[in-house]
Amino acid sequence: MKLSYFTLSVALRHLRYGVGQSLLTIGVVAISVLLIVYLRTTIGGSQVRIVQNVAGAIPHIIVEPAERTPIGAWNLPGNAPDTLFVGEASSLPRAQDKIEDWKQWVEAFGKDPQFTVVSPVVAGNVFLFRGARRQAVRMAAVVPEIHDAIVDIEVDLLEGNFKRLPPGEVAIGFKLARKFGIRLRDKLRLVGPGDRTLTVTVGGIYSTGAGALDDDQLFLNLRDGQSLLELGSAISLIGLRIDDLFQAEAVATALRSRVPFKVRSWITDNPSVFFTIDSQNQTINLVLISTIIAAGFGIASVLILSVTTKFREIGILKAMGATPPEIQTIFVIEGFLLAVVGCLVGIPAGIALLKALASIRVPGPDGRIRELFLIEIDPGLLAFAAGVAITVGVIAAFFPARRAAKIDPMSVIRGS
Amino acid sequence: MADTRTPVIELAGIGKTYVSGDVQTPVLFDVGFRIYPGEFVAIVGGSGSGKTTLLNIMGLLDRPSTGKVMVEGREVSNLDEQGRAEVRRDRLGFIFQFHYLLPEFTVIENALMPCRMKGPKYEAAEEPRMRALLDLVGLGEKLRNRPSQLSGGQQQRVAVVRSLANNPALVLADEPTGNLDSRSGRIVFDLMKSLSRESGIAFVMVTHDDDFALEADRVIRIRDGRIESPGTPRPAPAEAT
Ligand SMILES: Nc1ncnc2c1ncn2[C@@H]1O[C@H](COP(=O)(O)OP(=O)(O)OP(=O)(O)O)[C@@H](O)[C@H]1O
Ligand SMILES: [Mg+2]
Repeated sequence: MKLSYFTLSVALRHLRYGVGQSLLTIGVVAISVLLIVYLRTTIGGSQVRIVQNVAGAIPHIIVEPAERTPIGAWNLPGNAPDTLFVGEASSLPRAQDKIEDWKQWVEAFGKDPQFTVVSPVVAGNVFLFRGARRQAVRMAAVVPEIHDAIVDIEVDLLEGNFKRLPPGEVAIGFKLARKFGIRLRDKLRLVGPGDRTLTVTVGGIYSTGAGALDDDQLFLNLRDGQSLLELGSAISLIGLRIDDLFQAEAVATALRSRVPFKVRSWITDNPSVFFTIDSQNQTINLVLISTIIAAGFGIASVLILSVTTKFREIGILKAMGATPPEIQTIFVIEGFLLAVVGCLVGIPAGIALLKALASIRVPGPDGRIRELFLIEIDPGLLAFAAGVAITVGVIAAFFPARRAAKIDPMSVIRGS
Repeated sequence: MADTRTPVIELAGIGKTYVSGDVQTPVLFDVGFRIYPGEFVAIVGGSGSGKTTLLNIMGLLDRPSTGKVMVEGREVSNLDEQGRAEVRRDRLGFIFQFHYLLPEFTVIENALMPCRMKGPKYEAAEEPRMRALLDLVGLGEKLRNRPSQLSGGQQQRVAVVRSLANNPALVLADEPTGNLDSRSGRIVFDLMKSLSRESGIAFVMVTHDDDFALEADRVIRIRDGRIESPGTPRPAPAEAT
């Protein structure tokens, strides 16, 4: 490669002179860049939405006590074959699922920058009594201030508090409230599995749009949950959030080897969602790779044509002293420039299209007006699209360029 | 009388055999001569006698099978492709039977193309000279035209001017008038001759035209790949010191 005044000016002139072909190729590159930016952003946005619906209100990673499953005596290793076991099979008492030294772990996770939220949780099922009626509900006792970063309920409050929910108060979904005719400041009785009873005041009613949260879930302060489940000062799990929720399984795997706990990610809990997204991504990637390859072939074919028609001129340039690296550089520059200009057209076009889409607002099923597309323009993606297009342009130019560099001036002079 | 000048080019014992597969075609046999600065030399010989082959070897476009080529006293026959390209770029000019101007560039840009290879400063420095030369050959009005807007004779005149762009020591021309009508051919020939006189650059021209050959300073005759007569080098202008 020999970038110089000579190679650059000849390359530019070739492109300008063959402006029709250049524009066509630039158009192909621009469209493929636009497709990358557009598809990745819109599909990425809809995937985030799907995941938010499924995993939106849960931690990305859950750290909980390791399960200790009892082994039947008949399954112990080292039994002689045909041993007869006599006895009564009964369920063994399970070790209680709790983390005693959670403060130390919360502090340790808090120091790890990859965790954006570290929330201690007491989780379990309790009975909600209201007059003569009762219902089993899922209870999460949390530090509301911290846990709101996970469930994001404060913004969905219809009445009352969430982030500043005081001890002795409970936040419930509007569907549950409606079912029991509960209003703010009403009193409820909660009964834990050990028949421990707690009377609480309704301090917040919310509507998140997610059925599970609105229907049969209630939130308390950590202390209240601990006493209801008779956990003392222990908790049942630690919820973690990370920046890129698609990395949850990788982070969980890394964590597993570092902590004496069971570590689950939302991905292992919702494999079908993840596989749907994964297969969707693979389909898109296939489409994108195809368009990029098409753009590469576009550039290559224009340059092959150019080298063929300029066979004589190239031979004469070489006779006059242009070296093979110079000739090769001329055509590689052409491929590079076609790709660069393609990006300069395609990326702004993509951004404009996305901005237009982002401004579309429609009423959702719950009547709320919201954006039709969840669009977040990622500069990294733009850089990636440009990088791919330019790399492909240079690679596509490389082979015609090498052919040009190998033209023998003698064969031109002999007038063949 | 021994000539003490350094020849612009010297061939010694040049042999050339084309090999393609099992077929060997010997074309040149023990060719040797010297060309001195400012000489205007015609190479004549029958078709297929090896003139183009010889010129390509002199122009470092082809390698001889045997023998040595010296340009301004420096052996160049063993240079690699890059080295030979550099000698062509710096010391040699070429005129071909077809002009092969670059269609994307204007007349003046085409004339300056060899300078462009040497960089923008060199090109800028040579531009006035090239303008003057194009003016001299009657193309002063056409500097900004594209080659396609010129007649064949005009295009070849541009090619002649281009061959002088890099201030070469030697210009090699293979039947530069071969593709032109006799009037245009005469104009181009006269042009080469006068430029050679004025610039002191040596010209070697292959021609089939006996009239042109007679007007050359010196005629090298070649027959079946051998030098029939090397002609007499023009004596050094001894008085001009
Ligand atoms: N690449 C090659 N391979 C084999 N033989 C070749 C090759 N190039 C030229 N020849 C042969 O070498 C001989 C000399 O060719 P050359 O072109 O040098 O002749 P010339 O004197 O220039 O002829 P003309 O006056 O017709 O241009 C011819 O017989 C030709 O067929
Ligand atoms: Mg010939």
